[in-house]
Amino acid sequence: MFLMLAVMVGVSASAQQLPDVKIENQEGKIVSTKSVVDGTPMIISFWSTTCKPCIMELNAIYSNLDEWLEEADFKVVAVSVDDARSVSRARGMVANWDGYTCLFDKNQDFKRAMNVSLTPHTFIVDGKGNVVYSHSGYTPGSEQELFEKIKKLQ
Amino acid sequence: MKKFLLSILAVASVFVAEEASAQIKAGEGQVSIALESNNIYYAPDKRMVDLGLDKPNDRIRGNFGSNDYLKVDYTLGRFSVGVQLDGYLPGLYGYDMYTYQQRNSKLTAFLTKYVQWEDQNWGVRVGDIYDQFGNGLIFRTYEDRNLGFNNSLAGARAYYNFNNMVNVKVLAGMPRLYDVRSKNPVWGADLSLSISDMAGWYDGLISIEGSYVGRYQKGAAELFPSKEEFGTVVAGVDGDVVNMVSGRANFEYKGFSLRGEYVQKLNNDKFSPALSASKGNVVNVDLGYNYKRFSASVTFRRQVNMTAPIELVENGIGGGNTINYIPLITRQHTYSLANLNPYRGTSVHTGGEVGGQIDLYYSLRNPKVRSKYWNFHANFSMFNTIDHKLGNMDMEGRNAWIDFNFDVERQWNKSVKTTLFYSYQRWDEEINHYDAAVAHYCDSHIFVADVTYKINKKHSLRVELQYLNSNDYEGDWLAGTIEYNFAPKFSFYVSDMWNCEAMQDGQYGNGIWNPDTLEYDGNALLHYYQVGATFTHDFLRLQLSYGRNRAGYVCSGGSCRYQPAYTGANLSLTLSF
Repeated sequence: MFLMLAVMVGVSASAQQLPDVKIENQEGKIVSTKSVVDGTPMIISFWSTTCKPCIMELNAIYSNLDEWLEEADFKVVAVSVDDARSVSRARGMVANWDGYTCLFDKNQDFKRAMNVSLTPHTFIVDGKGNVVYSHSGYTPGSEQELFEKIKKLQ
Repeated sequence: MKKFLLSILAVASVFVAEEASAQIKAGEGQVSIALESNNIYYAPDKRMVDLGLDKPNDRIRGNFGSNDYLKVDYTLGRFSVGVQLDGYLPGLYGYDMYTYQQRNSKLTAFLTKYVQWEDQNWGVRVGDIYDQFGNGLIFRTYEDRNLGFNNSLAGARAYYNFNNMVNVKVLAGMPRLYDVRSKNPVWGADLSLSISDMAGWYDGLISIEGSYVGRYQKGAAELFPSKEEFGTVVAGVDGDVVNMVSGRANFEYKGFSLRGEYVQKLNNDKFSPALSASKGNVVNVDLGYNYKRFSASVTFRRQVNMTAPIELVENGIGGGNTINYIPLITRQHTYSLANLNPYRGTSVHTGGEVGGQIDLYYSLRNPKVRSKYWNFHANFSMFNTIDHKLGNMDMEGRNAWIDFNFDVERQWNKSVKTTLFYSYQRWDEEINHYDAAVAHYCDSHIFVADVTYKINKKHSLRVELQYLNSNDYEGDWLAGTIEYNFAPKFSFYVSDMWNCEAMQDGQYGNGIWNPDTLEYDGNALLHYYQVGATFTHDFLRLQLSYGRNRAGYVCSGGSCRYQPAYTGANLSLTLSF
């Protein structure tokens, strides 16, 4: 741990690239996670059907979406980390979030590649696929911070 | 305690360094680091010790435990390399690693590593591999830190994708069994053919898939030979190799989906000390339908002796000793009283089960007013045991679990949201423990009200009330939670779960058995309280809590583990950058 702290101090900031992992899209087809990179900034949120704060966060973003889109151009990518137990439940729930890009990470390969330990874990990624911000956990109102970061990318 | 204070100190130093940057650049590539540390200090709780619920003498590794995971990856374009160090310093109580391996050593560590090249249409990985074929019913290697499972395959994997029409994957290696590397090699291949892509049909999906998986254990047939017992022949393992095959078909078109899978174990394989070795199979069918804001999903599954362990052992296997994944498919509950007695499968005792679940979602929304909506969700599931033998007795399949759940979520405006939840659960308590000839059914009704009030942009309050009504098992329960949030950094909560009704239901209940008078001596009506706080700052998350924890099953994904009761302080830290 102390060794890690030593590593942390004095490192220069640089943007991490979105990793290339093959996972399922909403139609059940295998796609590369790089395929979501299309020039538009995005909020990538890792969630699961048993994670209540995750669902609260995605609902909160959904409630604000119209207003936010008037001020900034971005998209929302919801990555379900539900395994075979509840992936069909996750596919049912995403019907509530029209307009979101939904991916299904059944064996948590994308989650592992993004170093996500706990959900919700949310990333802001710019149009070129660089991760510019990350935040784990959700408290009502913290979605405002995501929007502030998105606005900076415009 | 000293170690606990030390970790608090370490965490405090993180605050000092919190201004450090979020990523590290190394040459042309980049390094990312993640740390997760879960620490518990087990405190003496006289009340629980007196009742025999907390057994401090069983804590052979002392009163402090820490499960830690440090992961470091380096990526340069399509190339990546990484390591993960798991440290159990010593391990927390209630994880199968210790239950089944009986490790007395205080400190344990395990290192996993990989090198990988991920091209557009092909990829190669050498080292620890996490993968699954289909739904994982034939093969799945994965990590679940809530359960302490990690069966990563140390070996090699290669795949090739031809124009999305043909996808072929091969892999082989030695699985990890808790904190040792098993000597039993496992190998497999997976082929997926996309008929729709071949036919140039892009409106939907039709695919046919198949897998093969094998495992070798030296001397398995010698260890478990066929033998005669009480006049009947008990089948043994017929060779040192077990082979499994599976076939799958998937269809999707305009919101309708149908997915089917059949897996067959071709050789006799011993799976539990209670049963003779036998071949197994599982059939799984998933049906899904989405139309606008309505969606439905139905799952049916029947499985017989399909558990495929990494190592065949005489006694006890533990949830982590497996190369395939047959998850529980009942709804996984998030409210504590709905989770008191979760369904955890019957196949360990009876060799198999048959059942399914239905999920219905409907959302009522005005597309113009996004901050107001209704969400309705209903769910039903049922599982029965299959016909099987108990010793020499023929047992007919019987109901093991039923639950029906309904919840309504209403976002009234930007500041108020309410959730009402009801769950009916019925289970056979006998079959939860062992394969019993006579069932002992318990019923419970659970009611929950959950209100979130957003005071302003930063402050919010959440209140949760729960009531469990039951005339058997442990009787009635009450629970409540109050949570106060300061977005985006702080959150505080207090909660209590109280078993409020004295109950003696046959050999179950909350009565206190007095060994001197051989009579019940009052009832243990305990409060399970918790108080906690969470701090989050970008890549850091810190959670500190203190409370009394009930003995029970902790489920994550489709598996569960038994957690003994304890009172203590819990500090967890995650860092990723």
